[in-house]
Amino acid sequence: MKVAVIGGGVAGLSAAYFLAKSGVDVKVFEQKYLLYGASGRNSGGLTLQFNNEPLIRLAKRTLELYDSIQSEVGFNFLLRKDGYVKIASERDEAKLKEEVEFQRRNGVNVELVEPEFVRVLFPDINTSAFSVASYFADGGVVFPWPVVWGLAKGCRELGVEVYDYTPANVELKGNELIVKANGESYKVDYVINAAGAWSNEISKQVGVELGNKVYKEEICVTESLKPYVDPYVMDISTGVYFSQSMRGEIVGGILGSETTTLETKASLDFLTSYAKRITELVPKLRGMAILRQWAGLYDVGRNGMPVIGETKVKGFIQLNGFGRHGMSLALAAGEGVAELIMKGRSSIIEPFKP
Amino acid sequence: MVKIEHGRLQEHPIVDFKRGKEVTIYFNGQPIKAYEGETVAAALYAAGVRVFSRSFRWHRPRGFFCAIGKCSACMMEVDGIPNVRTCKVYVRDGMQVRTQSGLPDAEKDVFSIFDDVIDRVFPHGSHYSKFTTSKKARDFMVKRMRKFTGFGNPPRAVFQGKAEVEEIETDVLVVGGGPGGMSAAINAGKYGAKVLLVDENPFLGGQLIKQTHRFFGSAKERAGTRGIRIAGILEEELNNIENIEVRKETRVFGIYNGEAGAYQRLNDDEGKLLRIRAKKIVVATGAYERTLIFENNDLPGVYGAGGVQTLMNVYGIKPGNTGLIVGSGNVGLILTYQLMQAGVNVAAIVEAMPRIGGYFVHAAKVRRLGVPIYVRHTILKAIGRKSVEGAVIAKLDDRWQPIPGTEKEIKCDFICVAVGLSPTHELLYQAGCEMKFVPELGGIVPLRSKFNETSVKGLYVAGDVAGIEEATAAIMEGRIVGIHAAVTLGYGGEEAKKELEEAVREIEEFRSGPFGERIVNGLKKCTLESEVVS
Repeated sequence: MKVAVIGGGVAGLSAAYFLAKSGVDVKVFEQKYLLYGASGRNSGGLTLQFNNEPLIRLAKRTLELYDSIQSEVGFNFLLRKDGYVKIASERDEAKLKEEVEFQRRNGVNVELVEPEFVRVLFPDINTSAFSVASYFADGGVVFPWPVVWGLAKGCRELGVEVYDYTPANVELKGNELIVKANGESYKVDYVINAAGAWSNEISKQVGVELGNKVYKEEICVTESLKPYVDPYVMDISTGVYFSQSMRGEIVGGILGSETTTLETKASLDFLTSYAKRITELVPKLRGMAILRQWAGLYDVGRNGMPVIGETKVKGFIQLNGFGRHGMSLALAAGEGVAELIMKGRSSIIEPFKP
Repeated sequence: MVKIEHGRLQEHPIVDFKRGKEVTIYFNGQPIKAYEGETVAAALYAAGVRVFSRSFRWHRPRGFFCAIGKCSACMMEVDGIPNVRTCKVYVRDGMQVRTQSGLPDAEKDVFSIFDDVIDRVFPHGSHYSKFTTSKKARDFMVKRMRKFTGFGNPPRAVFQGKAEVEEIETDVLVVGGGPGGMSAAINAGKYGAKVLLVDENPFLGGQLIKQTHRFFGSAKERAGTRGIRIAGILEEELNNIENIEVRKETRVFGIYNGEAGAYQRLNDDEGKLLRIRAKKIVVATGAYERTLIFENNDLPGVYGAGGVQTLMNVYGIKPGNTGLIVGSGNVGLILTYQLMQAGVNVAAIVEAMPRIGGYFVHAAKVRRLGVPIYVRHTILKAIGRKSVEGAVIAKLDDRWQPIPGTEKEIKCDFICVAVGLSPTHELLYQAGCEMKFVPELGGIVPLRSKFNETSVKGLYVAGDVAGIEEATAAIMEGRIVGIHAAVTLGYGGEEAKKELEEAVREIEEFRSGPFGERIVNGLKKCTLESEVVS
């Protein structure tokens, strides 16, 4: 069996990794360099705080896989489970409470906590900037780069060809799927469309309308400080989030918004709004220098859900639309897609069928 | 003989140092005497402090290096705010300054032991691949790593400075107030364009202010005048044009689709975020110094020539007792002369090429002063634990390899690397200009039209950022971009168009000599495709 994966991000590499473990001949095509897409540009937040059951299941399995994959491939992803905190101001209190109740009913060990509780986790936070929080102790932060590097290492060790700087086109000839890249044509049994923000275009090539929405999100980091911010903090009322990287930079951003152009230019508007909001939330960050800023693109599937599974074109499989939660969801989704190809079905990805 | 007090030059044959009121700052708790107008880094240096920080990973000592806010070796905690570049902050009475990332401080750091062992135990990148197979080992390693990583201390105080946003609209924004930038501003401004010139320093003139020597070049471009005087002449011209606004201590950090973001420091407690909408932007950010690869090249006491010039000619602080100069280009030769002028010994000049790089007149002057120039030699390593105590040099063979047995130890307490400059191109990359590596021009430079407009429409370059040349050429380039910007905005009419042609012709003539050949060759490689005449 031959499988081509379009996109060398977390989702694509995870699928390739699990397929290769089952002995499948896999090739991964990355249009630019590994880390070029959302997998290399995100802030690495890991959580189970989702508001529907299939996503929680996917995220739970992904957290488990982080443990096993790091051991298998012998790579440290610098993952820290120091907690994931969602904070909200008064107007979003009810929403957050409802979410917490739902998550607890679905077996997620999340707690509704007072601002004072968050201050104990991170003393510099301004408790008057929010009124309530939801705390997930087993969530945390992962450094996305070693995740991609480690998966790629695991893939290569299992014989997967990972081609970077290799844009690929998919063609449908009769019932045959052909991937054109490197000036060559590869006849394959399956194509996995894990191209993130570029998934719509890949899908179009075989005549499948995907309709994922593309979002642009921006992040910046301060100069390095000794680690003192343990949890990942997400303000659902303002969209601002932050955590601290292993190098000590305060990594923060604002939730993205929909865009029609696939460009990743950083903006001054982001920088000014982020600076304003983050210093309200953590006043001691006033006076810190910003080291760099960047933007990334991600795609969101129908109703905000990922799109995972085989399309009307036999052998053409979607593995995209993860929104900003690829790091929390995509490992299990990749495993699910591998299961789907090997066994014909996979219950964990069933709800995300195209 | 030059008189020295508290590490500061008291008399200088060319420069008159005006020092402010005496103040006391506290360095890791110890009082240190300083003068208003001095930067923290300069005051510490004058007080004999050599270790300013420890490197991020191996805890190697880092000292005063670039002096212009670029290298981050001087970052310290100032009044509870971490990661402050002390070469860009002025002393204030009672200021509390602390070193970072060393226990108990940068000087006595116990973690400096890492430098000796870490490479054997944890070679670079091994934190991803060692102790990874069990979850317990990984979690343990991540926890330990978090204990050692990071640079500044978490902020202890809330920065009290006030900052407001100001939105500005202008015809032309000029980034950088060196010879190229000032010339661009003058030439756009004189035809009526509304110009804003910003510079990150509290003074204009760029690197001209370090140049206490007389200029060469054509008479029209002020040959025979000292660099520091040229800066003054240009600044006066700027000030005489009403529609030019100058903002000093204003650092442009990004160009976003024709809008520049900048931070203007007003005083110790106030600043402004500027959002500058400009129809044309001239980037004249100059260059920074290259360094060389040799053992211990990060040791405090290994400097770029510019760092030493800033220390000596701007702050009047003696860099050391005996220096070794690497590189015999004009900068190395002039610096040698300037050091001797300030009463500092120069042990030797080392040059890898088989001949002296700079002008004959400079070399002759240095020779007369009795400084040996070793051609076909290179520096192999710097000696010293926390700062430079000497250097080892050696002769090179025809394949540029050191010849065994020719090593020679030179006694010195600082080393100046003067091996050339590279364009300060970051802003251009960030703005999206098409860039190219052109060795003749000193590094990575933007593609440009013959009027120095880059691939981003309305974005120009002038001076060293366009290619390493000299101040005279920067002034000429500034004139071209300034007039072109004005003309394309509809200012100046026929007269301006005529002057533009003349300016282009003049720079071509200027470069037609033997010294310009290299530049002309370099320029051919970075012409915008749309401009190439086939």
